Amino acid sequence: MPVLQPPLPEDVVTWCRHHLGVEDVPLEGPEVPRERLTDFARALKEQHHFWFFVYCAAAHFPAAGELPDRTLVAYRVRRLPHATLGRPTQTFPFRVWVPTGESSPSLAGIWAGADGQEREQSDLVGTVFSGHPDPRRLMMPDDWPGHPLRRDYAIETGHFPWR
Amino acid sequence: MAVSAAPAVSSSLATRWTEVGGVRVPVELVTPGWPDPHMDLSTYDPEADLMALNMGPQHPSTHGVLRVKVWLDGETVVKAIPYVGYLHRGVEKLCEKLTYVQITPIVDKNDYVSPMMNELAVNMAFEAALGVEPPPRAQVLRTILAEIQRIASHLISVGTWGLDMGGAIGGGATVFLYCMRERELILDLFEELTGGRFHYNTHTVGGNRHDLPAGWDRKAIEVLDRIVARSEEYERFLVDNPICHQRARGIAVIDPLLAMECGASGPILRGSGVDFDLRRDAPYAAYDQVELRVPVRTEGDALARALVRIDELRESARVAKLLLQGVPEGPICALKPVKLPGAVKLQEGEQVYVGIESPRGELGTWLLANTDRKLGPHPYRLKIRPPSLHALSLLPYLCPGHTLSDVVVIIGSLDPILGEVDR
Repeated sequence: MPVLQPPLPEDVVTWCRHHLGVEDVPLEGPEVPRERLTDFARALKEQHHFWFFVYCAAAHFPAAGELPDRTLVAYRVRRLPHATLGRPTQTFPFRVWVPTGESSPSLAGIWAGADGQEREQSDLVGTVFSGHPDPRRLMMPDDWPGHPLRRDYAIETGHFPWR
Repeated sequence: MAVSAAPAVSSSLATRWTEVGGVRVPVELVTPGWPDPHMDLSTYDPEADLMALNMGPQHPSTHGVLRVKVWLDGETVVKAIPYVGYLHRGVEKLCEKLTYVQITPIVDKNDYVSPMMNELAVNMAFEAALGVEPPPRAQVLRTILAEIQRIASHLISVGTWGLDMGGAIGGGATVFLYCMRERELILDLFEELTGGRFHYNTHTVGGNRHDLPAGWDRKAIEVLDRIVARSEEYERFLVDNPICHQRARGIAVIDPLLAMECGASGPILRGSGVDFDLRRDAPYAAYDQVELRVPVRTEGDALARALVRIDELRESARVAKLLLQGVPEGPICALKPVKLPGAVKLQEGEQVYVGIESPRGELGTWLLANTDRKLGPHPYRLKIRPPSLHALSLLPYLCPGHTLSDVVVIIGSLDPILGEVDR
């Protein structure tokens, strides 16, 4: 089997174009405005049956040119095959851009699995998820300075414990 | 693909099914309300004498360095919080400084019970970003190795769960030692193939690094036959054992909808009646060449999950034997042998996600390749989606209402590998 990224499910892409008013939905998923994220996610779960939470991953992008210091938060959800129909499983990704210093709404109320994943990402990348039920750090100790997976947390510099 | 729900296994329950969100789930398992994982203890009965108790991080039954803080009312758990991170090694940060070829031996150490799967998951993501397709021989080789590794992993899982179930008194120590004995045979096979017993570093971008030695396939088939013959014995040890029944039957019944929301997959989801397996539903490597029978159980309890693992073990042996009889000839890597670690370059700035079915569920890799040539041939961000972390997020939902001794059984039945949870 060639390793290819499967195309996004067509019915959801059509719905996205209509709902978000975007022309083109790329393979890595539509960019959702932060204020509409909760409604978008809820519709995805309840209307389109995306019950299975795959991941939430954040990546930090330092300020470059006109672009501010920001974080990309990528989610992916899956709908499971109907065994009797033999439908292959489909995933749907969506992304949110969060400027540093601002927050993105937490999806922990929609998918229970987002709880731990958002905690991990806010611990390691430093994204703030507003309305999270339990915003403690997950991996690092509570008194750890900084967020290790940020691009400006360079391992050669004076950060603890490499200073 | 007209694959029926559960041909290999017959469930004792005459199950009625319902459909929620396009997924067929057993009616009995759907519960209207789930326990609140963030319960405010001050709302609990003020007359009760609650006791907070720490299990772990150094505890023989937490399968690694997991710490669970439980609040007990008498012997009943009121609230449980898992604390992870004791094994956090910053693998994702390390990957930002390593080249694509150097990452494989690092991720070997994530899920240290099934290292082949970690290698496969990251390398498939690199191949997807690079647009390389491994040659057919490598695809079949990968599938065989993955299935044999799945057997080894499930042997550990079932064996250590036997220890949790009562050790020497409950007969679990016997299962544990037998399982370890069988796993040793598999480690010997892998040692002959790759030179390593534990951390193989055999998958690489575009294919595999080690070709099958002469006579390896015959030896592997012998080992698999022996394990399948003995797996009947393990099942009898669990199923015919009254202690096992009393401790595991009806314990920690998982609502399939909750499991899906939490992202728990693999034997956990299949033990709760959801017929979902990435090997069959989104085939990768050579899984499209075999017809896979996915074992599903509808009880949803701890015993069902262990039995699903034993059934999967036999199914894996069948698939591996089938493929071993017809390994195609040809090269085992699509790229030339890599001399310099920076030789494999991804500069497309592409995001890819590839998920594979590890013994614990969906093991995924989300890769964001560099867009900036100055940053060198390293991933910009690599995120590993560990199935065990998602399984552990079920723990606060499962423990309340059970006794403290059940918590041990619950953790064992979720089969978390803490190296993978913490990364």
